[in-house]
Amino acid sequence: MANRIVIDPITRIEGHLRIEAEIKDGKISEAYSAGTMVRMLEEILRGRDPRDAWAFVGRVCGVCTTVHSLASVRAVEDALDIVIPPNAEHVRNIMFATQYMHDHVVHFYHLHALDWVDIVSALKADPKKTSEIAQSISNWPKSSPGYFSDLQKRLTKFVESGQLGIFANGYWGHPAYKLPPEVNLIGVAHYLEALEWQKEIVKVHTVFGGKNPHPNYLVGGMACSIGIDDASAINAERLQLVHRLLKQAKEFVEQVYIPDLIAIASFYKDWGAIGGGLGNYLVYGDLSPNGYRDPSTYKFPAGAILNKKVGEVMDVDLREDNEIQEFISHSWYEYAGGDDAGLHPWKGETKVKYTGPKPPYDFLDVNDKYSFLKTPRWKGNAMEVGPLARVLVGYGRGREEYKEVVDSTLSALDVPIEALFSTLGRTAARGLEAKLVAHWALEFYDMLIANIKNGDTRMANMERFKPDTWPKEAKGVGHTEAPRGALAHWVVIQNEKIANYQLVVPSTWNASPRDKNGVSSAYESALKNTPIADDHKPVEILRTVHSFDPCLACAVHLYDEEGKHISQVKVL
Amino acid sequence: MIKNELLILGIGNYLMGDEGVGVHFVRTLEHERWPEGVKILDGGTAGFQLMEDLECHSTVIMVDATLDDHPPGTIRLIEPRFARDFPKAMSTHEIGLKDLVEALSLLDRLPRIYLFVVSVEKIQPLSIELSSAVEGALPQLRGQVDHLLEQLGIVVPAPAVV
Repeated sequence: MANRIVIDPITRIEGHLRIEAEIKDGKISEAYSAGTMVRMLEEILRGRDPRDAWAFVGRVCGVCTTVHSLASVRAVEDALDIVIPPNAEHVRNIMFATQYMHDHVVHFYHLHALDWVDIVSALKADPKKTSEIAQSISNWPKSSPGYFSDLQKRLTKFVESGQLGIFANGYWGHPAYKLPPEVNLIGVAHYLEALEWQKEIVKVHTVFGGKNPHPNYLVGGMACSIGIDDASAINAERLQLVHRLLKQAKEFVEQVYIPDLIAIASFYKDWGAIGGGLGNYLVYGDLSPNGYRDPSTYKFPAGAILNKKVGEVMDVDLREDNEIQEFISHSWYEYAGGDDAGLHPWKGETKVKYTGPKPPYDFLDVNDKYSFLKTPRWKGNAMEVGPLARVLVGYGRGREEYKEVVDSTLSALDVPIEALFSTLGRTAARGLEAKLVAHWALEFYDMLIANIKNGDTRMANMERFKPDTWPKEAKGVGHTEAPRGALAHWVVIQNEKIANYQLVVPSTWNASPRDKNGVSSAYESALKNTPIADDHKPVEILRTVHSFDPCLACAVHLYDEEGKHISQVKVL
Repeated sequence: MIKNELLILGIGNYLMGDEGVGVHFVRTLEHERWPEGVKILDGGTAGFQLMEDLECHSTVIMVDATLDDHPPGTIRLIEPRFARDFPKAMSTHEIGLKDLVEALSLLDRLPRIYLFVVSVEKIQPLSIELSSAVEGALPQLRGQVDHLLEQLGIVVPAPAVV
């Protein structure tokens, strides 16, 4: 007999995700991942000026705002064959790197850490011992016994006031929490420090994007101008601010995030054998010192890996009709060509047809349609996207930087390379690429400064900004690597307006329902065989799902059902 | 840290019809001449990213949509002290403003918050326009915000001629 448990919504993510899992003999035998809200962004874009699309897509989510705007301007530039100036490339890369570091640190400390760090246990920590541990893993200055003792007092007051607030949804005291109280206290300290840190790093977006949240992008380049002595432009003072912020970000990643990641991971090595899932990985690639149009120089190289064969990275073509396709066999949509068709995004259709149960309901009918996410496939294969995919493809492509961070981490944790294919591997990969990105951000900064010093202050190419310079019909694709994984927008332009617009977002790859052949996507596959100690407190499910950094705000949409932050447990 | 006087912060998703009422509202304020120390901000769907803006103002007036049993366009003023005092927001953003408010209260840096909530209907069409009920409530909302500003001793600019 199997128990089916439902977690709806999964907390500490963006958007609304429902997981149903069948549990047999203390393990998940089958899992079903459902986006229960509909996204119709494609419809709001149809008929609009393609130069405005970035502003709409940037509003879809409060976290990934810049990556959607970036993919959007690139899609339109691709359609209209616009080459942007080097400064704009560097600025976009710096903003991208900023988004990465912000997102990965916030994910680790504010969304994922509480799956591993027991806040309540931190109250029992010995501040002196905490200080010793902190100083043994890092040179980070905030590590004195007094610092931890003050923090502990504040936390005690907070918990005693009954205002657990941000910490209210944890399974505190669950046996799956393995950290000693002192490491938990370090986790809490850095939860708060990361909060302070993140508000600084986003200022980079304000400098280059004019405002934050939702900074400005521009088809043809960036909407800022360089003027070293100009008070209203990107001047020397603002550039120095960016430099300082990027250096601070690198310090925090290297001295706080990475040491914490290694310290916490060392208590959870068993999770190096749990939550692996598909073993198929997909990366579109991004971050070139030589421009987006030169994929051979991407610092995140593109590629696909099947069946964990890291040594055999295959090439990916986003334009090819039969490589990337979206299916709706288990999604609440209909296609003109029938439910079993697979459509390349340029031919994509977004027509909702809800056939699910009327809420409130106990379970979804998983044999039929059960999600508002479509199911994307690469050459018919289910693929995982995200940090682990990027790190594996970089490693598989033989890039030295990747080999160095991966091999040194595996050896610090004393785990084999197979441990990468897991929940722990996914969470570690996010930290490792944050370390790489922190380093690259400064490289891009130096390139920007060198280019300006050479007298090149161009920030936009406006030759084809006016619609009378456009062809009657054009189509383009713009991709990037969002913090959560491969992201691309496909646009079809007809008579100066958007005729079709499709976004295939990372969480659609990872969180989608089964395909027509019954093959699971990444979440469902990764959850299989996960041990569950207590059906009523399935923290193990949160660990694996959070390891993907779900962001359903753009994968689905947007009206909130009566949110119940509880899990339902039903005996089938 | 030097605290500025006052922030007027519009929250919401501009793509989701009435859910974006806070953003629509502050956009009407953006082009007026506000006295020094008053900042107008379209906060969109951001959460933690607004930390600096919240903690560096001693008073924050927020405008957001809410789901409740009142007719659409109903305006209420709430003075939340804790995150639990916030009404049910439209936003699906789990790591949103409420968490930021909790975190700021843990850090002892929570500003004085006045929250204007505008009731909207549960199912929102995807649209960048407001419904007539909510659009029609904007002048009254402006009146209530102005009234609060006067009580707080802020000189309110004359509304821009549209």
